[in-house]
Amino acid sequence: MNEIVQKLFFSAAALSLFCSNSVVAQTSPYRPKEILPPAKKAARVHITLGPELESAKSSWAIIRWTSNNPGGSDEHFGVVTYGTDPGDLKETAKSHIRLNRGHPCTIFRVRLDGLKPGTTYYYRVDSMEASGTSDGVKSPVKHFTTP
Amino acid sequence: MRRTTLIVLSVVCLTVLGAVMMTKGDEVDPTPQTYNPYPPGILPSDLSSELARVRREVTFIENEAIAEWHALPPLKFIGQPPTIQGSGYAAVRTLGKLMNFDQNISVFKNEACASCHMPYAGFSGPIPSVNLTMIAYPGSFRIRAGKRTAQRYTYSPDFPVLNYNATQGTFFGGNFWDARSTGYLLQSADAEQAQHPPVDTQEMGAPDTACITFRLSQAVYRPLFEAVWGKGSFSISFPSNTEEICETPGGAAVFGSNATPVQLSPADRARSNAVYDHWAQSISFYESSPAVSAFSSKFDAFLAGKYNMTADEMAGYKLFRGKGNCNSCHLDGRSTAPTPPPPEGTAPGSEDTGAAADTRPLFTCFGYANLGVPKNPRDAFYYQTTPDAFGFTANPEGFAYTDFGLGAFLRSGFGSAPNPNSSWTKFASTSDGRMQTSTARDVALVPPQCKSTDAPGPYFQKEFFHNGYIKSLKQLVHFYNTRDVFPFSVESGNCPAGTTEKVNCWPAPEVPQNLDMTIGKLGLTDTEENQIVKFLETLTDGFTTPYPDINTYTGVCKTGGNASTQGNSAIISAVAIRALMREKP
Repeated sequence: MNEIVQKLFFSAAALSLFCSNSVVAQTSPYRPKEILPPAKKAARVHITLGPELESAKSSWAIIRWTSNNPGGSDEHFGVVTYGTDPGDLKETAKSHIRLNRGHPCTIFRVRLDGLKPGTTYYYRVDSMEASGTSDGVKSPVKHFTTP
Repeated sequence: MRRTTLIVLSVVCLTVLGAVMMTKGDEVDPTPQTYNPYPPGILPSDLSSELARVRREVTFIENEAIAEWHALPPLKFIGQPPTIQGSGYAAVRTLGKLMNFDQNISVFKNEACASCHMPYAGFSGPIPSVNLTMIAYPGSFRIRAGKRTAQRYTYSPDFPVLNYNATQGTFFGGNFWDARSTGYLLQSADAEQAQHPPVDTQEMGAPDTACITFRLSQAVYRPLFEAVWGKGSFSISFPSNTEEICETPGGAAVFGSNATPVQLSPADRARSNAVYDHWAQSISFYESSPAVSAFSSKFDAFLAGKYNMTADEMAGYKLFRGKGNCNSCHLDGRSTAPTPPPPEGTAPGSEDTGAAADTRPLFTCFGYANLGVPKNPRDAFYYQTTPDAFGFTANPEGFAYTDFGLGAFLRSGFGSAPNPNSSWTKFASTSDGRMQTSTARDVALVPPQCKSTDAPGPYFQKEFFHNGYIKSLKQLVHFYNTRDVFPFSVESGNCPAGTTEKVNCWPAPEVPQNLDMTIGKLGLTDTEENQIVKFLETLTDGFTTPYPDINTYTGVCKTGGNASTQGNSAIISAVAIRALMREKP
């Protein structure tokens, strides 16, 4: 058990180290006029930073987190399920991003609109391909309060 | 805009407007003089003289093209299928250039394609004051203007036919900000792009595509057209009233909804359509040539190992690919590693080897995104709300008009064009606000004497994004970097006291739905923003070989100010404009 925990720890530590805007060597050709097939999907997508509140106003908020690059379709979405009851996250917000194949990690940012001022919201996050296929991210339930 | 400034500008502009309507470049303007939909302060004060300047420059290049035509060897078709051996490429491209700079194509014979797309601006808008203010260019009927900035020709032929990629769940290819030139008929989005402006009511204004055929039949270079596309190309019986029809702008009430007012037999209509297709293909081939899409930038030299970037350029390049994440959409042909190698992520310490996977990256993904650009109250389109002298109203919605971009096209909506694929209509709502990801190549291309796009200069005032809201590359990068750092629920011209628009206040997006969140808070420092600008400047063609016709700018360069607030003196208040438009009879 300890060994597994250790491996996970070092894996996460390594990812944090190499999520700092580094770029990787290219191995496949890109040619104009071709839309590349999707990249290989990650075996497992996990959060390396966050999720956390990036900013909030009375009626909207942005939730942000970093995961390893999930691969799959370049067109990707961050997904936040949220609500005022931590046991019943009724609402869903999703925001488009485009993956950077050269980046080992991906920053997701999702904008939540239509919020009420002075209200505490609970949320968890995931990401998905353009097809709607989830990346299977396991996120804790966190919360924030609008001003 | 301050009230006093508006009043001063109103006096200036009314005077200038009169001048604009009295003159057509250097000639007496035949266009009706009874229509002025613009509130004071919208049109730039030097519009008349600047339109005349561009006309002279276009004429100069047209004459150059005529000389190039005369220098061609005799064209001989050889073999099966018959091919113009040896000089076929030169012949078609020269023909395309002749057409592109031909002002006689437009309804009042005063505007060529190039009038909004000059070489010294990377084949985008050639008038600094228009770029600063009304953002869309005056049409052949000078008082009409479009709604968006003139996109660069450069590398536009490389965009594929518009297609929906089910795996990626989005659209790729097409031409124009809203993809309305799909390429479905000619199998070239760029060629079909060339077919829109000649019959756009706000641009060259012909009421019928047959008018372009008719004008080509009268062109001095008709022999070259016939040599390339066939002697019988213009064997068309045009009715006696053709010129009368073709000198009446499209949209005129007299035409009703008739898109083919020139009465032709079916056979002649087919011939005319073929000529119009050949017009498009010839221009597109010119645009794909080194005269336009040159691959001659510092960056190309760098990829070839013949240029060492400066420290700032290299830093900007690394930021472009790293922290700035610019190449997620503006693909640089290098960061294409399948991700992630097993088991997860990448091997520690891996880095770019410097070897290019693609030696001619286009710096676009051919896709579409809603970047959340604020509405620009300066846009001339908002003000064309009453019938003009021909009974045409360009924009009945006035300032309430919202530019939904790709979404508007997919639903065949107002302000776009018919969507030729009904299976795409269902994607309209998820495409609202999305605009084409332009190539980053030549975004910084300016006349050589002006040196830069950015203050303090000397600089050439350009305009960026579909509605020209952004006025410098510094602002452009700053917008990507801080859109979500300094967001305010206001419209342009109404940032709160104590803030500066485009510096620490970004007005709300014009279209809030489908907002792209790849950008908005990149964490770049001021120095890093500047370094990305330096890198963007390495994408300017003309470094390894001179860029053709880049020295044709005869206007002036601007100096002074700073890039962060460049153009802010021209900002007008959306709230004030709304009030003004309500008062308008």
